[in-house]
Amino acid sequence: MSEIKKIKNLKEFSTSADRFEGANLLCPGCAHSIIVREVLNATNDDLILSASTGCLEVCTAVYPYTSWDASWIHIGFENGSTAVAGAEAMYKALKTKGRLKQPDREPKFVSFAGDGASYDIGFQWISGCMERGHNMMHIVLDNEVYANTGGQRSSSTPIGSSATTSPAGRISYGEKKNKKDMISIMAAHQIPYAAQVAPNKWKDMVKKIQHGLAVEGPVFINAMSACTTEWKFDPKDTMSISDLATDSLVFPLYEIID
Amino acid sequence: MANKGWDEFEIGAMLRSFNGPVSDVALTHQEDRDYSENNSFTASVADWRIEKPVFNKDYCIDCQFCWIYCPDISIISRDKKMVGVDMDHCKGCGICVEVCPTNPKSLLMYSEQTDEEEALAAWPSKETGEK
Repeated sequence: MSEIKKIKNLKEFSTSADRFEGANLLCPGCAHSIIVREVLNATNDDLILSASTGCLEVCTAVYPYTSWDASWIHIGFENGSTAVAGAEAMYKALKTKGRLKQPDREPKFVSFAGDGASYDIGFQWISGCMERGHNMMHIVLDNEVYANTGGQRSSSTPIGSSATTSPAGRISYGEKKNKKDMISIMAAHQIPYAAQVAPNKWKDMVKKIQHGLAVEGPVFINAMSACTTEWKFDPKDTMSISDLATDSLVFPLYEIID
Repeated sequence: MANKGWDEFEIGAMLRSFNGPVSDVALTHQEDRDYSENNSFTASVADWRIEKPVFNKDYCIDCQFCWIYCPDISIISRDKKMVGVDMDHCKGCGICVEVCPTNPKSLLMYSEQTDEEEALAAWPSKETGEK
Protein backbone atom coordinates (compact mmCIF):
# COMPACT_ATOMS: atom_id res chain seq x y z
CA MET A 1 0.00 0.00 0.00
CA SER A 2 1.29 3.39 -0.94
CA GLU A 3 1.81 6.02 1.68
CA ILE A 4 -1.01 8.36 2.61
CA LYS A 5 -0.18 12.02 2.00
CA LYS A 6 0.26 13.89 5.27
CA ILE A 7 -2.04 16.90 5.53
CA LYS A 8 -2.07 18.36 9.02
CA ASN A 9 -3.22 21.86 8.29
CA LEU A 10 -4.21 24.13 5.46
CA LYS A 11 -0.72 25.62 5.07
CA GLU A 12 0.70 22.16 4.52
CA PHE A 13 -2.15 21.34 2.14
CA SER A 14 -1.44 24.48 0.10
CA THR A 15 1.94 23.14 -1.00
CA SER A 16 0.09 20.64 -3.21
CA ALA A 17 0.48 21.01 -6.96
CA ASP A 18 -2.93 21.07 -8.57
CA ARG A 19 -3.75 18.49 -11.21
CA PHE A 20 -6.88 20.30 -12.32
CA GLU A 21 -6.43 23.38 -14.50
CA GLY A 22 -8.13 26.74 -14.75
CA ALA A 23 -9.84 28.14 -17.84
CA ASN A 24 -12.39 25.37 -17.62
CA LEU A 25 -15.86 26.67 -18.46
CA LEU A 26 -17.59 26.03 -15.14
CA CYS A 27 -19.64 28.99 -13.86
CA PRO A 28 -17.82 31.49 -11.64
CA GLY A 29 -18.25 30.31 -8.06
CA CYS A 30 -19.10 26.71 -8.99
CA ALA A 31 -18.43 24.26 -6.17
CA HIS A 32 -17.67 21.39 -8.59
CA SER A 33 -14.09 22.45 -9.15
CA ILE A 34 -13.54 23.10 -5.43
CA ILE A 35 -14.55 19.50 -4.72
CA VAL A 36 -12.43 18.14 -7.57
CA ARG A 37 -9.39 20.09 -6.37
CA GLU A 38 -9.78 18.89 -2.80
CA VAL A 39 -10.07 15.29 -4.00
CA LEU A 40 -7.12 15.40 -6.40
CA ASN A 41 -4.91 17.23 -3.90
CA ALA A 42 -5.69 14.70 -1.17
CA THR A 43 -3.30 12.22 -2.75
CA ASN A 44 0.05 12.18 -4.56
CA ASP A 45 -0.63 8.84 -6.24
CA ASP A 46 -1.29 8.45 -9.95
CA LEU A 47 -4.95 8.86 -10.74
CA ILE A 48 -7.21 7.24 -13.29
CA LEU A 49 -10.32 9.36 -13.56
CA SER A 50 -13.58 9.40 -15.43
CA ALA A 51 -16.49 11.75 -15.60
CA SER A 52 -20.04 11.00 -16.59
CA THR A 53 -21.86 13.55 -18.69
CA GLY A 54 -22.75 16.58 -16.67
CA CYS A 55 -21.53 20.07 -15.92
CA LEU A 56 -18.09 18.82 -14.92
CA GLU A 57 -17.52 16.79 -18.07
CA VAL A 58 -18.99 19.37 -20.43
CA CYS A 59 -16.96 22.22 -18.98
CA THR A 60 -13.57 20.56 -18.48
CA ALA A 61 -13.22 18.82 -21.83
CA VAL A 62 -14.14 21.40 -24.44
CA TYR A 63 -12.40 20.29 -27.60
CA PRO A 64 -9.53 21.10 -28.23
CA TYR A 65 -8.86 21.68 -24.53
CA THR A 66 -8.63 19.45 -21.49
CA SER A 67 -8.42 20.67 -17.89
CA TRP A 68 -7.13 17.41 -16.45
CA ASP A 69 -3.48 16.63 -15.72
CA ALA A 70 -4.22 12.97 -14.98
CA SER A 71 -5.56 10.12 -17.10
CA TRP A 72 -9.19 10.99 -17.71
CA ILE A 73 -11.91 9.42 -19.80
CA HIS A 74 -15.46 10.27 -20.72
CA ILE A 75 -17.71 7.84 -22.57
CA GLY A 76 -21.41 8.30 -21.95
CA PHE A 77 -23.92 9.67 -19.51
CA GLU A 78 -24.36 6.49 -17.53
CA ASN A 79 -21.09 4.59 -17.68
CA GLY A 80 -18.40 6.75 -16.10
CA SER A 81 -18.25 4.36 -13.17
CA THR A 82 -17.96 1.25 -15.35
CA ALA A 83 -15.23 2.87 -17.46
CA VAL A 84 -13.11 3.22 -14.34
CA ALA A 85 -14.14 -0.24 -13.15
CA GLY A 86 -12.94 -1.66 -16.47
CA ALA A 87 -9.60 0.11 -16.14
CA GLU A 88 -9.31 -1.22 -12.61
CA ALA A 89 -10.05 -4.79 -13.77
CA MET A 90 -7.39 -4.44 -16.47
CA TYR A 91 -4.88 -3.14 -13.92
CA LYS A 92 -5.54 -6.13 -11.68
CA ALA A 93 -5.20 -8.58 -14.58
CA LEU A 94 -1.90 -7.07 -15.78
CA LYS A 95 -0.62 -7.02 -12.22
CA THR A 96 -1.36 -10.72 -11.80
CA LYS A 97 0.42 -11.47 -15.07
CA GLY A 98 3.35 -9.22 -14.08
CA ARG A 99 3.03 -7.10 -17.20
CA LEU A 100 2.65 -3.67 -15.59
CA LYS A 101 5.07 -1.09 -17.02
CA GLN A 102 5.49 0.66 -13.65
CA PRO A 103 4.83 -2.07 -11.08
CA ASP A 104 6.03 0.10 -8.19
CA ARG A 105 3.22 2.63 -8.62
CA GLU A 106 -0.26 2.14 -7.28
CA PRO A 107 -2.78 4.21 -9.20
CA LYS A 108 -6.10 5.19 -7.65
CA PHE A 109 -9.35 4.83 -9.57
CA VAL A 110 -11.91 7.59 -9.17
CA SER A 111 -15.07 8.34 -11.14
CA PHE A 112 -16.93 11.63 -10.92
CA ALA A 113 -20.58 12.02 -11.78
CA GLY A 114 -23.36 14.46 -11.14
CA ASP A 115 -26.45 13.55 -9.21
CA GLY A 116 -28.40 12.99 -12.42
CA ALA A 117 -25.79 10.54 -13.70
CA SER A 118 -25.66 8.73 -10.35
CA TYR A 119 -29.09 8.83 -8.77
CA ASP A 120 -31.08 8.36 -11.99
CA ILE A 121 -29.33 7.54 -15.24
CA GLY A 122 -26.20 5.66 -14.13
CA PHE A 123 -27.78 4.01 -11.10
CA GLN A 124 -27.67 0.48 -12.48
CA TRP A 125 -24.04 0.81 -13.54
CA ILE A 126 -22.90 2.16 -10.17
CA SER A 127 -24.82 -0.58 -8.40
CA GLY A 128 -22.98 -3.11 -10.55
CA CYS A 129 -19.57 -1.59 -9.74
CA MET A 130 -20.31 -1.61 -6.02
CA GLU A 131 -21.62 -5.16 -6.11
CA ARG A 132 -18.62 -6.54 -8.06
CA GLY A 133 -16.23 -5.06 -5.53
CA HIS A 134 -13.91 -3.05 -7.77
CA ASN A 135 -11.20 -1.16 -5.92
CA MET A 136 -12.51 2.27 -6.94
CA MET A 137 -14.17 5.39 -5.62
CA HIS A 138 -17.31 6.94 -7.03
CA ILE A 139 -17.87 10.59 -6.19
CA VAL A 140 -21.24 12.24 -6.74
CA LEU A 141 -21.15 16.00 -7.23
CA ASP A 142 -24.61 16.46 -5.81
CA ASN A 143 -26.19 19.78 -6.77
CA GLU A 144 -29.66 18.26 -6.40
CA VAL A 145 -30.87 19.29 -9.85
CA TYR A 146 -30.10 18.75 -13.56
CA ALA A 147 -28.15 22.00 -13.70
CA ASN A 148 -26.58 21.44 -17.11
CA THR A 149 -29.88 21.23 -18.98
CA GLY A 150 -31.81 24.00 -17.27
CA GLY A 151 -32.75 22.89 -13.78
CA GLN A 152 -35.11 19.93 -14.11
CA ARG A 153 -35.76 17.90 -10.98
CA SER A 154 -33.72 14.77 -10.35
CA SER A 155 -34.36 12.09 -7.75
CA SER A 156 -31.82 13.90 -5.60
CA THR A 157 -33.98 17.05 -5.43
CA PRO A 158 -35.15 17.45 -1.84
CA ILE A 159 -38.75 18.08 -0.82
CA GLY A 160 -39.95 21.67 -1.24
CA SER A 161 -37.36 22.67 -3.84
CA SER A 162 -38.47 24.74 -6.78
CA ALA A 163 -37.05 23.15 -9.94
CA THR A 164 -38.17 24.10 -13.44
CA THR A 165 -40.22 20.91 -13.74
CA SER A 166 -41.60 21.21 -10.19
CA PRO A 167 -41.97 24.98 -9.68
CA ALA A 168 -43.21 26.43 -6.44
CA GLY A 169 -46.10 28.86 -6.77
CA ARG A 170 -49.86 29.23 -6.35
CA ILE A 171 -50.68 25.55 -7.00
CA SER A 172 -47.72 23.73 -5.46
CA TYR A 173 -45.00 24.23 -2.91
CA GLY A 174 -42.47 22.69 -5.29
CA GLU A 175 -40.93 19.22 -5.35
CA LYS A 176 -43.23 16.78 -3.53
CA LYS A 177 -40.94 13.79 -3.06
CA ASN A 178 -38.19 13.28 -0.58
CA LYS A 179 -34.58 13.04 -1.67
CA LYS A 180 -33.48 9.51 -2.55
CA ASP A 181 -31.34 8.11 0.27
CA MET A 182 -28.46 7.05 -1.94
CA ILE A 183 -25.95 6.51 0.87
CA SER A 184 -28.21 3.89 2.48
CA ILE A 185 -28.76 2.19 -0.86
CA MET A 186 -25.02 2.04 -1.46
CA ALA A 187 -24.31 0.92 2.10
CA ALA A 188 -26.76 -1.92 1.49
CA HIS A 189 -24.32 -3.21 -1.16
CA GLN A 190 -22.08 -3.93 1.83
CA ILE A 191 -19.28 -1.73 0.54
CA PRO A 192 -16.45 -0.88 2.96
CA TYR A 193 -17.04 2.87 2.99
CA ALA A 194 -19.77 5.37 2.14
CA ALA A 195 -19.76 9.01 3.18
CA GLN A 196 -21.27 12.42 2.64
CA VAL A 197 -18.87 15.37 2.35
CA ALA A 198 -19.04 19.08 1.60
CA PRO A 199 -16.30 21.31 0.16
CA ASN A 200 -16.58 23.98 2.86
CA LYS A 201 -15.49 21.43 5.51
CA TRP A 202 -12.21 20.76 3.74
CA LYS A 203 -10.50 18.89 6.56
CA ASP A 204 -13.38 16.49 7.06
CA MET A 205 -13.52 16.00 3.31
CA VAL A 206 -9.79 15.30 2.89
CA LYS A 207 -9.90 12.85 5.80
CA LYS A 208 -12.81 10.95 4.28
CA ILE A 209 -11.30 10.93 0.78
CA GLN A 210 -7.97 9.64 2.10
CA HIS A 211 -9.73 6.92 4.06
CA GLY A 212 -11.76 6.03 0.98
CA LEU A 213 -8.66 5.81 -1.21
CA ALA A 214 -6.83 3.69 1.36
CA VAL A 215 -9.48 1.01 1.87
CA GLU A 216 -9.66 -1.98 -0.45
CA GLY A 217 -12.97 -2.17 -2.31
CA PRO A 218 -15.62 0.12 -3.75
CA VAL A 219 -16.21 3.46 -2.04
CA PHE A 220 -19.15 5.78 -2.50
CA ILE A 221 -18.87 9.50 -1.72
CA ASN A 222 -21.73 11.99 -1.95
CA ALA A 223 -20.39 15.54 -2.12
CA MET A 224 -22.64 18.55 -1.81
CA SER A 225 -22.03 20.99 -4.64
CA ALA A 226 -23.74 24.36 -4.36
CA CYS A 227 -24.93 25.53 -7.79
CA THR A 228 -24.93 29.30 -8.31
CA THR A 229 -27.02 29.08 -11.48
CA GLU A 230 -29.84 26.81 -10.34
CA TRP A 231 -29.90 27.58 -6.62
CA LYS A 232 -29.89 31.24 -7.72
CA PHE A 233 -27.40 32.88 -5.41
CA ASP A 234 -24.50 35.24 -5.95
CA PRO A 235 -21.26 33.45 -7.01
CA LYS A 236 -19.36 34.86 -4.03
CA ASP A 237 -21.81 33.21 -1.57
CA THR A 238 -20.94 29.59 -2.49
CA MET A 239 -19.14 28.99 0.78
CA SER A 240 -21.69 30.67 3.05
CA ILE A 241 -24.54 28.73 1.37
CA SER A 242 -22.56 25.50 1.85
CA ASP A 243 -21.97 26.43 5.50
CA LEU A 244 -25.70 27.00 5.96
CA ALA A 245 -26.56 23.64 4.40
CA THR A 246 -24.07 21.62 6.44
CA ASP A 247 -24.43 23.44 9.77
CA SER A 248 -28.24 23.30 9.67
CA LEU A 249 -28.03 19.57 8.82
CA VAL A 250 -30.06 20.00 5.66
CA PHE A 251 -27.08 18.16 4.20
CA PRO A 252 -25.65 16.14 7.08
CA LEU A 253 -22.04 14.96 6.91
CA TYR A 254 -21.64 11.38 8.02
CA GLU A 255 -19.88 8.18 7.08
CA ILE A 256 -20.77 4.49 7.11
CA ILE A 257 -17.79 2.19 7.67
CA ASP A 258 -18.05 -1.49 6.69
CA MET B 1 -9.09 19.92 -36.79
CA ALA B 2 -10.68 20.42 -40.20
CA ASN B 3 -14.34 21.41 -40.24
CA LYS B 4 -16.67 18.48 -40.71
CA GLY B 5 -19.88 18.39 -42.70
CA TRP B 6 -23.28 17.99 -41.05
CA ASP B 7 -23.31 14.22 -41.63
CA GLU B 8 -19.72 13.54 -40.62
CA PHE B 9 -18.90 12.60 -37.10
CA GLU B 10 -15.83 12.68 -34.89
CA ILE B 11 -15.72 9.24 -33.27
CA GLY B 12 -13.46 10.20 -30.43
CA ALA B 13 -10.47 12.25 -29.52
CA MET B 14 -7.45 11.87 -27.32
CA LEU B 15 -5.78 15.00 -25.98
CA ARG B 16 -2.42 15.13 -24.27
CA SER B 17 -2.06 17.49 -21.34
CA PHE B 18 1.71 17.73 -21.61
CA ASN B 19 4.39 17.68 -24.29
CA GLY B 20 6.43 14.52 -24.01
CA PRO B 21 6.49 12.01 -21.17
CA VAL B 22 5.89 13.19 -17.60
CA SER B 23 6.25 11.62 -14.20
CA ASP B 24 5.13 12.80 -10.79
CA VAL B 25 2.81 15.56 -11.93
CA ALA B 26 1.51 15.69 -8.37
CA LEU B 27 4.90 16.92 -7.19
CA THR B 28 5.56 19.40 -10.01
CA HIS B 29 4.22 22.93 -9.72
CA GLN B 30 2.58 24.70 -12.61
CA GLU B 31 5.61 26.79 -13.58
CA ASP B 32 7.75 23.66 -14.01
CA ARG B 33 5.31 21.75 -16.20
CA ASP B 34 5.55 21.47 -19.97
CA TYR B 35 1.93 22.11 -20.91
CA SER B 36 0.75 21.17 -24.37
CA GLU B 37 -1.43 23.51 -26.44
CA ASN B 38 -4.43 21.27 -25.65
CA ASN B 39 -4.22 21.98 -21.93
CA SER B 40 -6.74 24.55 -20.80
CA PHE B 41 -3.95 26.13 -18.75
CA THR B 42 -2.81 27.73 -21.99
CA ALA B 43 -6.27 29.27 -22.50
CA SER B 44 -7.69 32.26 -20.67
CA VAL B 45 -11.06 33.17 -19.20
CA ALA B 46 -9.98 36.66 -18.14
CA ASP B 47 -12.69 38.21 -20.32
CA TRP B 48 -15.40 36.65 -18.09
CA ARG B 49 -14.50 39.03 -15.28
CA ILE B 50 -16.47 42.15 -14.38
CA GLU B 51 -14.64 42.66 -11.11
CA LYS B 52 -11.12 41.56 -10.29
CA PRO B 53 -9.61 40.67 -6.91
CA VAL B 54 -6.74 42.88 -5.77
CA PHE B 55 -4.28 41.36 -3.33
CA ASN B 56 -2.71 43.42 -0.54
CA LYS B 57 0.10 41.40 0.96
CA ASP B 58 0.55 43.78 3.91
CA TYR B 59 -2.51 42.35 5.64
CA CYS B 60 -2.26 38.73 4.47
CA ILE B 61 -1.70 36.15 7.22
CA ASP B 62 -1.20 33.22 4.77
CA CYS B 63 -4.15 31.28 6.16
CA GLN B 64 -4.72 29.82 2.65
CA PHE B 65 -8.53 29.91 2.86
CA CYS B 66 -8.54 31.63 -0.54
CA TRP B 67 -6.33 28.90 -1.98
CA ILE B 68 -8.53 26.00 -0.86
CA TYR B 69 -11.82 27.65 -1.84
CA CYS B 70 -10.76 29.12 -5.19
CA PRO B 71 -12.71 27.22 -7.88
CA ASP B 72 -10.35 28.24 -10.67
CA ILE B 73 -6.88 27.46 -9.32
CA SER B 74 -6.17 31.18 -9.54
CA ILE B 75 -4.67 31.71 -6.10
CA ILE B 76 -0.97 30.99 -6.40
CA SER B 77 0.54 29.61 -3.20
CA ARG B 78 4.14 28.51 -2.95
CA ASP B 79 6.00 27.33 0.17
CA LYS B 80 2.95 27.96 2.39
CA LYS B 81 2.86 31.62 1.29
CA MET B 82 0.20 33.32 -0.80
CA VAL B 83 1.98 34.80 -3.80
CA GLY B 84 -0.71 36.39 -5.91
CA VAL B 85 -3.69 35.92 -8.21
CA ASP B 86 -3.50 34.24 -11.62
CA MET B 87 -5.39 36.78 -13.72
CA ASP B 88 -5.53 34.54 -16.82
CA HIS B 89 -7.76 32.00 -15.07
CA CYS B 90 -9.65 34.09 -12.51
CA LYS B 91 -13.34 34.42 -13.35
CA GLY B 92 -13.96 37.08 -10.70
CA CYS B 93 -16.43 35.11 -8.59
CA GLY B 94 -15.33 36.80 -5.35
CA ILE B 95 -15.18 33.71 -3.11
CA CYS B 96 -11.61 34.57 -2.07
CA VAL B 97 -12.74 37.96 -0.77
CA GLU B 98 -15.67 36.43 1.11
CA VAL B 99 -13.55 33.83 2.92
CA CYS B 100 -10.65 36.19 3.75
CA PRO B 101 -10.59 36.45 7.56
CA THR B 102 -8.28 39.46 8.08
CA ASN B 103 -9.40 42.91 9.16
CA PRO B 104 -9.24 44.82 6.84
CA LYS B 105 -9.48 42.14 4.15
CA SER B 106 -6.30 41.43 2.24
CA LEU B 107 -8.26 40.70 -0.94
CA LEU B 108 -10.91 43.08 -2.27
CA MET B 109 -12.92 43.22 -5.48
CA TYR B 110 -12.46 46.23 -7.76
CA SER B 111 -13.88 46.89 -11.19
CA GLU B 112 -11.75 45.50 -14.01
CA GLN B 113 -10.48 48.96 -15.09
CA THR B 114 -9.22 49.99 -11.65
CA ASP B 115 -5.51 50.62 -11.41
CA GLU B 116 -3.97 48.24 -8.93
CA GLU B 117 -1.58 50.82 -7.44
CA GLU B 118 -4.43 53.24 -6.80
CA ALA B 119 -6.52 50.52 -5.17
CA LEU B 120 -3.65 49.56 -2.88
CA ALA B 121 -3.01 53.21 -1.93
CA ALA B 122 -6.66 53.76 -0.98
CA TRP B 123 -7.03 50.46 0.94
CA PRO B 124 -9.73 50.67 3.65
CA SER B 125 -8.45 50.84 7.21
CA LYS B 126 -9.27 48.46 10.02
CA GLU B 127 -12.94 48.18 10.92
CA THR B 128 -13.74 48.65 14.58
CA GLY B 129 -16.79 47.39 16.43
CA GLU B 130 -18.01 50.95 17.13
CA LYS B 131 -20.75 52.43 15.03
